[in-house]
Amino acid sequence: MSEPATLEVRGLRASVEGKEILRGIDLVVRQGEVHALMGPNGSGKSTLANVIMGRPGYEVTEGRILFKGEDITDLSPDERARRGLFLAMQYPVEVPGVSVVNFLRTAYRAVKGEEISALAFRKLLKERMALLGVDDAMVNRYVNQGFSGGEKKRNEILQLAVLEPEIAILDETDSGLDIDSLKQVATGIAQLVGPNLGVLLVTHYQRILNYITPDHVHVMMQGRIVRSGGKELAHELETKGYEELRRELGLEEQVGATT
Amino acid sequence: MTIATTTFDEEALGRLPAAPPFVEALRKQAFTEFLALPIPSQDTEEWRYTDLSGLELTFTPFAAGVRAENLDGVDEAILRAAGSVGERAGLQIQHNSEVAVSHLDPALAAKGVIFTDLDVAAREHPELVEPHLHALVPTSRTKFTALHGAFRTGGTFLYVPDGVVVEAPLQTLVWLDADGAAVFPHTLIVVGEDAEVTFIDRYASPDLERALSDAVVEIHTGPASRVRYVSIQEWGSGVIHLGVQRARLARDVDLRSVAVGFGASLARVESESVLAEPGASSEMLGVFFADGRQHFDHRTEQDHVAPACHSDLLYKGALRDESRAVYSGWVHVRPGARKTDAMQTSRNIVLSDRAKADAIPNLEIENNDVRCGHAASVGPVEEETLFYLQSRGIPRDEAERLIVFGFFQEVLDRIPVEEVREGVAEAIERELSR
Ligand SMILES: Nc1ncnc2c1ncn2[C@@H]1O[C@H](COP(=O)(O)OP(=O)(O)OP(=O)(O)O)[C@@H](O)[C@H]1O
Ligand SMILES: [Mg+2]
Repeated sequence: MSEPATLEVRGLRASVEGKEILRGIDLVVRQGEVHALMGPNGSGKSTLANVIMGRPGYEVTEGRILFKGEDITDLSPDERARRGLFLAMQYPVEVPGVSVVNFLRTAYRAVKGEEISALAFRKLLKERMALLGVDDAMVNRYVNQGFSGGEKKRNEILQLAVLEPEIAILDETDSGLDIDSLKQVATGIAQLVGPNLGVLLVTHYQRILNYITPDHVHVMMQGRIVRSGGKELAHELETKGYEELRRELGLEEQVGATT
Repeated sequence: MTIATTTFDEEALGRLPAAPPFVEALRKQAFTEFLALPIPSQDTEEWRYTDLSGLELTFTPFAAGVRAENLDGVDEAILRAAGSVGERAGLQIQHNSEVAVSHLDPALAAKGVIFTDLDVAAREHPELVEPHLHALVPTSRTKFTALHGAFRTGGTFLYVPDGVVVEAPLQTLVWLDADGAAVFPHTLIVVGEDAEVTFIDRYASPDLERALSDAVVEIHTGPASRVRYVSIQEWGSGVIHLGVQRARLARDVDLRSVAVGFGASLARVESESVLAEPGASSEMLGVFFADGRQHFDHRTEQDHVAPACHSDLLYKGALRDESRAVYSGWVHVRPGARKTDAMQTSRNIVLSDRAKADAIPNLEIENNDVRCGHAASVGPVEEETLFYLQSRGIPRDEAERLIVFGFFQEVLDRIPVEEVREGVAEAIERELSR
């Protein structure tokens, strides 16, 4: 196998509407690794995920994002996706009138750069659906329209399974799920994790880490990664809470990000 | 007043193929009206969005077509334009000013269904044609309907007798390839009591320097009939399309119409449903996509004359480049039309900041026992949606196309007849992938 694909975030600062949210992030995620990213509400986790994917509206004021050794900071989101990046969104978007199948086939063709017949695609899709326990009815519906919270998250993971990126950022894919859905989504992700996939898993909960063991855990506060460690860090947080960590680190409690 | 030079003169009128006396009389009368009426001015409410003041009426009044024995004798390009609609009960092709070929399932002909060249029908069935031709759209309506009345040749006549159900759709294609010509597509539909039919009008041409399509559609319905009418306008650039479509709904009629507008340089189409007798129901769906410097002016009217009628209109349009589209719709509820239920919705996606769309709903309600509503929106594609699609590797322009297709899907989902739905979907795909 060739060298594993690597996502490198170097000294990244970014603002939204003139307000600085990311205040110097350094992070390296390699294909085959699982990184958990935790941190209180408003600390900037989704912002980081969105900036890595190139979402418009965020301004990178300093630092670079590299993927497979190349600078992707100024590339369009679709170009990043075609190079092997993926973002499962915290709030998946509705696409009225476009069925999941049609959406996925269009994305598949774009990412893989190859034509696939409707029939062959159906077959591939069935396979991935079985893996994740997704039913037929869902893929014939319009993307996220009228989906329950659980269906939306499952749909994100189905896309991940079909598009086979090298690095995926999963932004709170475990939030808003009941116990059964969580289990289904988590085991789904667990099956996809392996030497070919690197994951940055944004989460608030220890639970999902029972299914997917992280190699690294990072804690983000106020737009910075304030602590990194192994999987034991997640347990530590669970018992300690962010309050104590803050005290240890000598950080002031703040509402939202600093200016 | 001086009359500008025009090719539509007495001499040209005299050169038209001979017609039965009642048609000749109609031509004469319409020609007089044509001379008397002005080109509609933007000072009038009806024409304020379309400027035709510079239009020179110097088109070839009659352009011969190539007649064929049967469909096998029709040119490939023309058949392609007819679309791959699955099963059909009949197909007629008009080439320029003449009907080239006309086919109807013999089993239907045996039941008394008539589907043929309007000129032929005027000769063979004057008792059916005369009372209906220009009864809903009088020639005196505008200079263009007068011109139509005077110079029309060809056209479609569809008659379905009482109680007859036509399962598969019938279709007419008007194909225009004579540059500089004027064509006058006319569709005259007469449906009997409790009868049922689906008809598709298609207009298509290659890109031309300059041409005029001056079209009229008249739909007469018998009580409790079910009528579905679809028009798909795919004229090439250079064509000016001016259309008037008017339907009269009798008691308990269920009329569902779909208007698809993609082509022409300038298209102005008026679609009107008159709910003339109690219990009638009219659905009007519209889909249009404008690009380049296209100008679309869509006007609709839901005219509630009788009580207890229902009408629902949904027009969806997308605009790109420097195109311009205006939708203006009227819901009239007359004093006697109690228990009216009327809805009108216009949605527009504007894909470029040089394109401009307007949606102007108008309600005129003359009694208070009604349920009426309207909704209109004009806006760009949501950035959020675009980002979502792009984050899946789909390039921006393709993402935009997919979103627009999804936007039109709502209309497709409301078309019950599969052949029609597929035909419209195919036209949308063809247009979006251009
Ligand atoms: N588009 C935006 N416009 C304005 N402010 C924004 C925007 N996106 C993020 N922010 C602000 O940036 C800060 C960080 O938000 P972000 O969503 O990245 O936090 P998070 O760590 O993902 O929080 P949560 O755990 O609640 O999802 C917040 O103060 C938020 O209000
Ligand atoms: Mg978040």
